[in-house]
Amino acid sequence: MSHQSETCPVPSDQKPGQVLKDQSTYDQLLKMVLHLQWLVKKHFIQLEVTRRRQQLEGEKHAESICEQGNYLNLLMSKMVNVLRSGATSGLECQEYLPCLDSRDDVRSEQRAELSRQPDPLVPQLSDFEPAFVSHDLSNRGADISVLYHSSFQDYIAYQGDKFHEENNPLGFINLGTSENKLCIDLMIKRLSENDMNHIEDFLLQYPDWRGQPFLREEVAQFLTYYCRAPAQLDPENVVVLNGCCSVFSALAMVLCDPGEGFLVPTPVYGGFAFSSRLYAHVELIPVHLESEITEANTCPFQLTVDKLEQVLLEAKSKGKKVKGLILTNPQNPLGDIYSRDSLKEYLTFAKRYNLHVIIDEIYLLSVFDESITFHSVLSIKSLPDPNRTHMIWGTSKDFGISGFRFGVLYTHNKDVASAVGSFGYLHSISGIDQHKLSKLLHSREWIDSRYLPTNRSRLRDAHRYITKKLKELKIPFLYRGAGLYIWINLKKYLDPCTFEEEVLLLRRFRDNKLILSCGKAYMCKEPGWFRLVFAENSFRLRLAMRRFCQVLQEQKQSWIEKQLEESVKE
Amino acid sequence: MFPQKESGAPATCMGPASTQDLNSSYGDGMAGECSRKPDQKLPELRGMGDLTMFSSDSSYLSSRGRMIKWFWDSAEEGYRTYHMDEYDEDKNPSGIINLGTSENKLCFDLLSERLSQQDMQWVEPSLLQYPDWRGHLFLREEVAKFLSFYCKSPAPLKPENVVVLNGCASLFSALATVLCEAGEAFLIPTPYYGAITQHVYLYGHVRLAYVYLDSEVTGTDTRPFQLTVEKLEMALQEANSKGVKVKGLILINPQNPLGDIYSPGELQEYLVFAKRHELHVIVDEVYMLSVFEDSVGYRSVLSLEGLPDPQRTHVMWATSKDFGMSGLRFGTLYTENQDVATAVASLCRYHGLSGLVQHQMAQLLRDRDWINQVYLPGNHARLKAACAYVSEELRALRIPFLSRGAGFFIWADLRKYLRKATFEEEMLLWRRFLHNKVLLSFGKAFECKEPGWFRFVFSDKAQRLRLGMQRVRQVLEGDAQMAEDSPALADPGAK
Repeated sequence: MSHQSETCPVPSDQKPGQVLKDQSTYDQLLKMVLHLQWLVKKHFIQLEVTRRRQQLEGEKHAESICEQGNYLNLLMSKMVNVLRSGATSGLECQEYLPCLDSRDDVRSEQRAELSRQPDPLVPQLSDFEPAFVSHDLSNRGADISVLYHSSFQDYIAYQGDKFHEENNPLGFINLGTSENKLCIDLMIKRLSENDMNHIEDFLLQYPDWRGQPFLREEVAQFLTYYCRAPAQLDPENVVVLNGCCSVFSALAMVLCDPGEGFLVPTPVYGGFAFSSRLYAHVELIPVHLESEITEANTCPFQLTVDKLEQVLLEAKSKGKKVKGLILTNPQNPLGDIYSRDSLKEYLTFAKRYNLHVIIDEIYLLSVFDESITFHSVLSIKSLPDPNRTHMIWGTSKDFGISGFRFGVLYTHNKDVASAVGSFGYLHSISGIDQHKLSKLLHSREWIDSRYLPTNRSRLRDAHRYITKKLKELKIPFLYRGAGLYIWINLKKYLDPCTFEEEVLLLRRFRDNKLILSCGKAYMCKEPGWFRLVFAENSFRLRLAMRRFCQVLQEQKQSWIEKQLEESVKE
Repeated sequence: MFPQKESGAPATCMGPASTQDLNSSYGDGMAGECSRKPDQKLPELRGMGDLTMFSSDSSYLSSRGRMIKWFWDSAEEGYRTYHMDEYDEDKNPSGIINLGTSENKLCFDLLSERLSQQDMQWVEPSLLQYPDWRGHLFLREEVAKFLSFYCKSPAPLKPENVVVLNGCASLFSALATVLCEAGEAFLIPTPYYGAITQHVYLYGHVRLAYVYLDSEVTGTDTRPFQLTVEKLEMALQEANSKGVKVKGLILINPQNPLGDIYSPGELQEYLVFAKRHELHVIVDEVYMLSVFEDSVGYRSVLSLEGLPDPQRTHVMWATSKDFGMSGLRFGTLYTENQDVATAVASLCRYHGLSGLVQHQMAQLLRDRDWINQVYLPGNHARLKAACAYVSEELRALRIPFLSRGAGFFIWADLRKYLRKATFEEEMLLWRRFLHNKVLLSFGKAFECKEPGWFRFVFSDKAQRLRLGMQRVRQVLEGDAQMAEDSPALADPGAK
């Protein structure tokens, strides 16, 4: 709590000449005042929370805090308005901090209630402590809110202040969320074609909750082809839901009881941890991989059966019930691809211990290095334990349409398919979209001759640019040929090399309107790793890298200053 | 088999324990309105999470997974039978006619035309990327305007109080999760739309405490199945005395399956009751625009001046019923409570709808001219005619029924056709209907206290409706014949 005010964004006063050099003084002032207003508001919220937590003070004190808060707020608003009237650029229509102004009147109306009703602003601004959350929510409701906002703080900030070349050049650039923005032009064109717009009565009626049969048919054919399945895949083994996180959530529900666990090699996509906790209450048991190359570790973060076994046995000895293993292939955030042999080894290991294997292949078609052959789990001729092997795929990454909400489960296990299917009505997709998706997956020629080649070549270009840049900066990274991201090592910018420092560096990026994600979010064991998404158009990517360099420079600078200070003291 | 009935008191049926009697029409929500075999009973459950006695055979599933699958499999009888043998005028004229699922099939022509217009086909980058999980702002703005207008709110409603999800089932699930702990309960007057049981239980493990209503008009009641504060108080006490923590009250207005409408005065009373006990109120107004009798005077809870407890009043609406698009998956929450809105939004990653659909919905809701001049008048006239037809048929059969000019259904009293007043008999009658190729929903699926009530959905094309009612008549006349033949078996309570 207390460190917050020191580390929160101080966008303008730090380096007024850099980002803001083209803006008028008014704009800069306005921005600073907005920020000040935010700080003041936060300060009062903190005071209020401290008071509530201690529950020592009487109502009067609370009221005086509120009054001061409101008074200061009023003054701030007046200043803001004066500045706005003089501001020259588009800042006035830009929501620097969402709701700031619209809340003012609400706040004064609710003044009497303030001590009871937590400020709605808080979720967006703080690190979220349960103390903020109202008694209207259940404990788990509060927990969900807190978890969401702590996990997606940056994403929420980004949503409220997105970069736009003309309208918001000072907005956030997001290289933190894994989205492919390189082929939106192709997708828009494809989705605007005539065959997409088709309405039929039955598309508007209650569907088969596992997905419309015509779509499951199409998915089965699509996966048969692109996963190189040895035999035609069966539409009855397909369940389609509104996104892969829904598929995972439903799978966790039907495979585990609360408190049971999944093994998961880390670093790993943080969404698993989030999904496991949110609804299903399943524990993730990390199999920590290391970057260092040793005898047993022939490449960084290598997954071996020994490591899996060791963690499994350890967990068992602690009385934990392990129900499965989660694999991501191509791996996120590493970009690694498992060879057919290692894949088989992992599956055999799982079979030995009766573990389910959930294998997430959401980046299946995002392998852009043509010298690499990707082996889908569905391509394996005789799966060691087909009834416990469940594959997840979706269009979000491979087709860059995360807004479409479409995820697929493929499992040979009919019980699992039907149990996951019963979650269908909580995770359903509109019939109209199901039609579009089936048309999209059906257009094999467009995918093969137009979409995939273009997507791969654009990913390659972006990857080439980013790796060149990183080399220049002498930043170590994993050179891989799959995924939308690159796993980089910024250890040398952390002093000391701790997770606290990692978060501080992340904040420094955020203060400079650049969103990245740090290793901790991937349950990485070693501090200092970051994931950088490069599937962004080249203009924004370049600008992002400028901001990136700036931050690293600042980081070094403040380091040198610190050292100087210390040497002077001595 | 139904122990709570024996006590005579307004029973409190709880979560998984109640699911054992909660027979099944998981209705539109889950598998179409369908039903479970009476012999398939969930074993008694000893508290939450202890589902080890589950007999489901799959060793691959967790115990909750087995229960979920059981829910699903057992609920499917009617629906599965229907889907294997759906009526089609040309291809399958002897197939099953579905008067069980509450869907409006009267306006597909109007909807298809509107949804095929050029403005619906818009695609832009932001629609294809990760959204604000509460719903795109442009849609939430449109929803706020729409609800302000059609709910006649005293002041304009605010977009920040709107959360958009893929249907009301998801909304029930999310609300249950963020308002209750596992094992806590919502009060709900019965008969009610039975699918809610599963919506709140599947992820949330939240139970329902029933407020049983009677068909008989007694005391100060003025109509059958009337909800009063007294009955609410009694059910709440009953639940409390059993150690069940009740966190809220669910109201459906217009009511499903009764087609009833709460007057503003009644609504206010229920809300005051809830406030007195610090209960949340979830008001499901999914049939709000399907009030086809002008004289009814429906009032949305959002139209009330000075809600007793606005921070605990949460309203849901969707396009499934009012716009006859259950396949479109669009539902919305309106709540002034920002904590609740935020918590529900935190779950929206799992209940999101595509950007393209969000765009389409915004276009649809914005098109006030089309709604007011084309869609609503057309829809209401067709609902009215269809309702009149089925009412006439029932009258001819001398079947008592409730129909109040709202919703897609008529709540009919077939008690005189049961040989004994039991739910087994009710199920047998239901199965005779199904056997004669007409799917209906029976009262037990709505947790109706009295066996023998059935819900008839009339919002279907005239030709199918006629055929359906003809098949109903065949069954009932055959039954009446049988009953006359053996008077000893006739239900002494039948009117």
